[in-house]
Amino acid sequence: MNCSDESTYGNKADIISTVEFNHTGELLATGDKGGRVVIFQREQESKNQVHRRGEYNVYSTFQSHEPEFDYLKSLEIEEKINKIRWLPQQNAAYFLLSTNDKTVKLWKVSERDKRPEGYNLKDEEGRLRDPATITTLRVPVLRPMDLMVEATPRRVFANAHTYHINSISVNSDYETYMSADDLRINLWNFEITNQSFNIVDIKPANMEELTEVITAAEFHPHHCNTFVYSSSKGTIRLCDMRASALCDRHTKFFEEPEDPSNRSFFSEIISSISDVKFSHSGRYIMTRDYLTVKVWDLNMENRPIETYQVHDYLRSKLCSLYENDCIFDKFECVWNGSDSVIMTGSYNNFFRMFDRNTKRDVTLEASRENSKPRAILKPRKVCVGGKRRKDEISVDSLDFSKKILHTAWHPSENIIAVAATNNLYIFQDKVN
Amino acid sequence: MLGKGGKRKFDEHEDGLEGKIVSPSDGPSKVSYTLQRQTIFNISLMKLYNHRPLTEPSLQKTVLINNMLRRIQEELKQEGSLRPVFPASSQPADSLSDSYREAPAPLSHPASPSAHPCDLGSTTPLEACLTPASLLEDDDDTFCTSPAMPPAAPARVSPPALPPEKDSFSSALDEIEELCPTSTSTEATTVAATDSPKGDSSESSLQKPEGLQEGRPDDSKLMDSLPGNFEITTSTGFLTDLTLDDILFADIDTSMYDFDPCTSTSGTASKMAPVSADDLLKTLAPYSSQPVAPSQPFKMDLTELDHIMEVLVGS
Repeated sequence: MNCSDESTYGNKADIISTVEFNHTGELLATGDKGGRVVIFQREQESKNQVHRRGEYNVYSTFQSHEPEFDYLKSLEIEEKINKIRWLPQQNAAYFLLSTNDKTVKLWKVSERDKRPEGYNLKDEEGRLRDPATITTLRVPVLRPMDLMVEATPRRVFANAHTYHINSISVNSDYETYMSADDLRINLWNFEITNQSFNIVDIKPANMEELTEVITAAEFHPHHCNTFVYSSSKGTIRLCDMRASALCDRHTKFFEEPEDPSNRSFFSEIISSISDVKFSHSGRYIMTRDYLTVKVWDLNMENRPIETYQVHDYLRSKLCSLYENDCIFDKFECVWNGSDSVIMTGSYNNFFRMFDRNTKRDVTLEASRENSKPRAILKPRKVCVGGKRRKDEISVDSLDFSKKILHTAWHPSENIIAVAATNNLYIFQDKVN
Repeated sequence: MLGKGGKRKFDEHEDGLEGKIVSPSDGPSKVSYTLQRQTIFNISLMKLYNHRPLTEPSLQKTVLINNMLRRIQEELKQEGSLRPVFPASSQPADSLSDSYREAPAPLSHPASPSAHPCDLGSTTPLEACLTPASLLEDDDDTFCTSPAMPPAAPARVSPPALPPEKDSFSSALDEIEELCPTSTSTEATTVAATDSPKGDSSESSLQKPEGLQEGRPDDSKLMDSLPGNFEITTSTGFLTDLTLDDILFADIDTSMYDFDPCTSTSGTASKMAPVSADDLLKTLAPYSSQPVAPSQPFKMDLTELDHIMEVLVGS
């Protein structure tokens, strides 16, 4: 088992910690360990260069969060961006939520391509003019300027989480959103920053009895009263906010019975769900645990309808993965626009796609050596048995420091963004 | 870092340890199951105690590791209650885990993994496979070389070792208990009044003095029969207290105190001289009059002692 330290090649602060397309797919936001947000914008496709499909270029970069110090506990609060979620566009400006462990911020990203000229009291450089020299009045006019993209923090939602925020989710009413930490979920109104409603609280009266934490949460894409949250014990709870103010009692409880033949010391740890995502249709939820991705039908609570093995060859390595902490890695999963394909990451910079209809799956690699621009990605294969074929890679040569935890899929096209440590890869489906 | 040096060695034996899922009922593979369980137990403890993050450790990770430890302890407890007498063949493995859990109870919480380096040093067939433990053994040699720890009788290591140090340590515990009033309600009100955002940590810190007191009455029971009484509930309590405290007071690295009980009786005490129980008493005395949450001064001294230990041990 290899653990080369890829992070030493680049700055640790550049490690990408979240990736998210906006609702049209025109913008792609990434957050990193250093608290920065970088937004890419897709080039407008020009009629002259049809073969050159819209590429993503840097649109805006800003520092979203700074490191803080909790004086009470004598601990640092990391500035690492845990999640970014876009708001649907309602005017010319773009809005997104970004969060670290403790604070959520609403950012407005807007363009400025005109500026006023001809002030009366100031000269062209902005220096104040002597009023005695002003003899005429003029009306300032707007003149075009070079495009400037500015990001401004519009709201800061702070001091509502004792534990680490793992998820944020914008509600379909576009007025509220939720933030979830290990033990609590809070509901916010975008306009109100000094208050939030607590809608889920699983903190036991006696912390000694704590055996389960919240790992991810998301609002239903269409029903603004419904949300789900997953736990470290591999369960998913669906809650209806109309039922009561505090949604400690779930409406639905999704759990798969344990497979006795696969029982081991690590059964609980590998069942911990690291990500939960509603399908675009709102009919299904997808969950990611350490070794599998599962698709659940909201109408069937006792087991998932589909289970996909991401890297089952790691099952015999769980003890080592426990020792080096890799077993605690939190992989995310995503749906494609039509909910027909799901994607998730793995180790060695591999990521996997599963076609739900054809039941075919593919393993691809995001690495510089293997991808030149416009080159077609070659499928990869991990060999588990003794005989290794030429192109295969053996389990023992996998690099466990190269993990793909964050991926994103364009809402309508086959464009994917894959974060491999400090590098972002954008892959597009080849046309003709 | 503690596990990295021995990683290769561990990998060599990996297949033997985790190749198949071994059920406890298999006869010949019972030892390897026990071995695997013990290894995982060791790794889990090391994860909780040796972690010294600048930022708050992940609650999810801590809870999962804690659950793992509890499950193993439950299993050991059940096995212990089923078999009051151990067959000689399996004695090394079992008494290893037995004495592992017996030793912690009479001592203060940092000692809960304390017995294990001493014990592991004496179980030669197992030490080769247990890499994390074997690394501890390297340090262990310098600490536990006294004749009080005969390698031939691993099962009897803890009880004879305990009584002499019990005196010095138990007097230290007395001092600590004086600082911690038994009524948790008074603590709750004072702590809650001062820092409400820290409500969680104060709750956990309340558990500690209770835990310390629970441990004391069980000393005599443990001394009696070796395989018999496993004060699992006590040690579980300690474990939980400690793990949650470790989350909240993460700057305290109690791994150094694992060796305390061994050293205070051994001849190599010179290396550990500054960390004697007397010093602990002296440093704790000035805090006795302060109406602060009792765990606080204790922790502050642990930090200082911790620092001294680090310098001495050279980690």
